[in-house]
Amino acid sequence: MPPRLPIPLTQAARCCAAPASRPQAPSLVSLFAALSLQSRTPTPPTTATVTTPTQIRSASILANLSDNKGAYNKRIRKGRGPSSGYGKTAGRGHKGQKQHGKVKPWFQGGQTPLIVSHGRHGFINFRAPKMMEVNLEKLQKWIDTGRIDPKKQITPRELIRSNLVGNPILDGIKLLAGGKETFRTPINIVVSRASAAAIEAVERAGGKILTRYYTRDALKRLVRGEVVHTTTPLPVGPEHVNRVLGRMRHEARVSGGKKVYRLPDPTSREDIEYYRDPAHRGYLSHTLKPGESPSLFFKVPGAETAEVKAVEKERAEEQAARLF
Amino acid sequence: MAGKGVKCLSEALRGLSLGAQPCRTTPARQAAMGCIRSMATAVEGKPSNITRSVDEVYTPLTTVPVTIHSFPTLEPRSLEAWSTKHLYLPLRRDILHLAVVYEGDKTRQGTASSKTRWEVAGSHRKMRPQKGLGHARLGTRQSPLMRHGGKTFGPKPRDFSTKLNRKVYDLAWRTALSYRYRRGELIVTEDGLDLPLPDEFLYAASKGVLGREVEDGFVSKYLAELLAGLQWGREYGRTTFITGDRRPNLFTGMEVGGENGRALELDEVDVKDLLETGRIVIERSALREMIKTHSSDLVQRVQVPGLRTKPQLGTAIVQ
Repeated sequence: MPPRLPIPLTQAARCCAAPASRPQAPSLVSLFAALSLQSRTPTPPTTATVTTPTQIRSASILANLSDNKGAYNKRIRKGRGPSSGYGKTAGRGHKGQKQHGKVKPWFQGGQTPLIVSHGRHGFINFRAPKMMEVNLEKLQKWIDTGRIDPKKQITPRELIRSNLVGNPILDGIKLLAGGKETFRTPINIVVSRASAAAIEAVERAGGKILTRYYTRDALKRLVRGEVVHTTTPLPVGPEHVNRVLGRMRHEARVSGGKKVYRLPDPTSREDIEYYRDPAHRGYLSHTLKPGESPSLFFKVPGAETAEVKAVEKERAEEQAARLF
Repeated sequence: MAGKGVKCLSEALRGLSLGAQPCRTTPARQAAMGCIRSMATAVEGKPSNITRSVDEVYTPLTTVPVTIHSFPTLEPRSLEAWSTKHLYLPLRRDILHLAVVYEGDKTRQGTASSKTRWEVAGSHRKMRPQKGLGHARLGTRQSPLMRHGGKTFGPKPRDFSTKLNRKVYDLAWRTALSYRYRRGELIVTEDGLDLPLPDEFLYAASKGVLGREVEDGFVSKYLAELLAGLQWGREYGRTTFITGDRRPNLFTGMEVGGENGRALELDEVDVKDLLETGRIVIERSALREMIKTHSSDLVQRVQVPGLRTKPQLGTAIVQ
């Protein structure tokens, strides 16, 4: 639609036409005279002449606003007379404890409650990490609809930003095997944990899977782009400290005042053991020596370590040096 | 028949009187027979055909035109295309209601306060003996039953504000703007919207020869004339001017001539203000900022490659 031309202006335009040169002595009389002249002229849109629109009423919409029907429920007013429906007994029936007070929800009518006869069992581990679960069928659907690009490495950042998981962001992402029969795309995926069936399904489709340690904060930073994703752990040992610190400082300088974080590595025994395990496709599994168990405690019987040998040698020497 | 004759006569008379006026352009009233067209750009509603054949492709409207005018001549200066999600949303009275109620709740002062019997000052001495006078029992003079006593369930300062989801509130802003747009009551002007007072007046006012009363009188009369000429004045439902920051002439003019409208800075505006007067006159940058800050509901968290997640703010069609 073409832009509309405005109504030709009457006095207004003339009022606003500024003079080319500023008069030295402004004649106020003329100013006011101009105004009064205009007010004397019959202003066109005035009241009911025959040609003008009958009447312009600007009725505000404010008087006609209301919420949808049924959006509000009227409050139930108990004990306010028979016509309310909750008048005489106020919905509490007749007589007894329920009318006058409260009965505990676990009261079993006088029978010995289960919790008394059998006691409490088990406990809730509040420390246990809470995982966000991803099933293979949903991942396949996301790939099919173009929400996730299978040609690039799929990290938790992609999974969360594509809204596959992550509302809210928990301690990690676990890949599960739901719909493993239909999973067919070769992918390269990094998650916190993966079930054995899921690992098998991904690799059967020709893909790669790696599990890596994340924390809740790390995942949030990853989504915000405050940390660079990597699958190589931070090297352990005093000889690496200067190099790694130097690199971090350099990154901090380059980023220009923005905080620079690194992805964390596991510190607790369970976590280290999980990611050392090749069966979990852990990102620390390359640290295992041939034949070594992912467990930090279990030793193969008969296989003596140098430490044990040294201790035994020491004892033997002590025995030899004894006089009596 | 007689009525028609009178009509012709009055028209002829008006034509004479108009012709007698110098520097008057063509009278605009001829157009006013059947329809009233506003100056703002608006899209006319097309009769919708509900039935549609298979080969007819459904192409919904994605943008609507917005004319940028100069003020006060209202000359069209440029044309922009705005997304229908910004300026052509369907009217949702429930959403507007929620927003207006939310704002009203939030602006309640909640400072009403009264004293209970424990706060009224004075001695707690028993007013008269318990027995023996033939009167009723009576304790302290702070009792709610006594004159000058405390109030039993009086008001106490409290916060009346309610909550509304941000996305709903932002939708309400754009719904209000869309409602105005559709009715042709949203007039967008170029940046720097201000009241152009005559140079002679400004010169005299800067010299301080006029005095407060004369200045105010002139400005209010000038403003009334200006708005009456535009059909924006009091008889036409008043006008709300919205600018990015305070413009001295416009704002002081609207303070002295408030019966014809009001002027608001962008920060002061809320949804109710957008719905109140006969029309909204807003400068281009203020409209952009307003829509930009109130589009949280348009953000999609799912990012599909190659698909825009947010509609673009107005793009120029004609400069």
